[in-house]
Amino acid sequence: MEHTKRLTMGAILTALALALSYMERFFPLQLLIPLPGVKLGLANLVTVFALYFLTVREAGMILILRCALGSLFSTGVTAFLFSIGGGILALLVMAALKRCKGLSLYGISMAGAAAHNIGQLSVAALVLGSSYVWAYLPFLLLVSLATGAITGTVAAYGFRGLLGAGLRMR
Amino acid sequence: MASSPILRFRPADALVILCILLLAGASLAPFLRNAAVEPATVEVWQNGVLTRQVPAMSQVTFEISGTYTNTVTVDYGKVAVTHSDCPTQDCVHTGWISYTGQTIVCLPNGVEVRLTGGGAEPEIDGVSR
Repeated sequence: MEHTKRLTMGAILTALALALSYMERFFPLQLLIPLPGVKLGLANLVTVFALYFLTVREAGMILILRCALGSLFSTGVTAFLFSIGGGILALLVMAALKRCKGLSLYGISMAGAAAHNIGQLSVAALVLGSSYVWAYLPFLLLVSLATGAITGTVAAYGFRGLLGAGLRMR
Repeated sequence: MASSPILRFRPADALVILCILLLAGASLAPFLRNAAVEPATVEVWQNGVLTRQVPAMSQVTFEISGTYTNTVTVDYGKVAVTHSDCPTQDCVHTGWISYTGQTIVCLPNGVEVRLTGGGAEPEIDGVSR
């Protein structure tokens, strides 16, 4: 892909990720599952897309921009640390697992969701100086199986459309 | 090209599920060990400092001030943040906790409300003196 096209793609994806993480507030999942940090993880779809159609580096840049802009628009510094901690760990785990040939978007998305929760809890443990927050881990991991399966399904159907439209994976 | 193998659930994905389940099980063990102990004290930690201790078997409502204000309610063995003016409301959504080792977090306010099994430190000191 030529330079200008990549730049435009990155900008569009950053905007899309921001819109998705904002949209997510209208699915109040934490009312259903009363755990801190529970969410659908729709913005992770953009990371998954960037991993397969762009590069790890671009996926990381989109992620950092999304978290920075998101915290400017809404909930501040702690929210930034929270989402960047989860987002970066999810990106690293998914980039590593992508190299394992046997996995599909479902496995990648579930691993990403689980990694996101572990990253978030690590940040919470650091910020609060407390190991007590790890008590949430088993429950958050179980939830991440469900949310990862949902985002994995969305990614699989989205990818099918994109590949059908002639977009090529890297 | 529209039918890439990554678009369908594959056997190796089950391995990912298994790993996550194992991790969840392993992290549940310390939680269950703590939960077997009766909750004795409600501890309020703010930015890593213990700021208040309340016996768990009491009925009391108090406020934690900081960047935001959390209202904490203790009701005979269970605790909840019943009101908060923070933007995320995660602490309020967490609801009541009643097992030793559980904690309610309000990250925007740097606050953690813990249920611990040991007695309140100052009271033990007061008795032993």
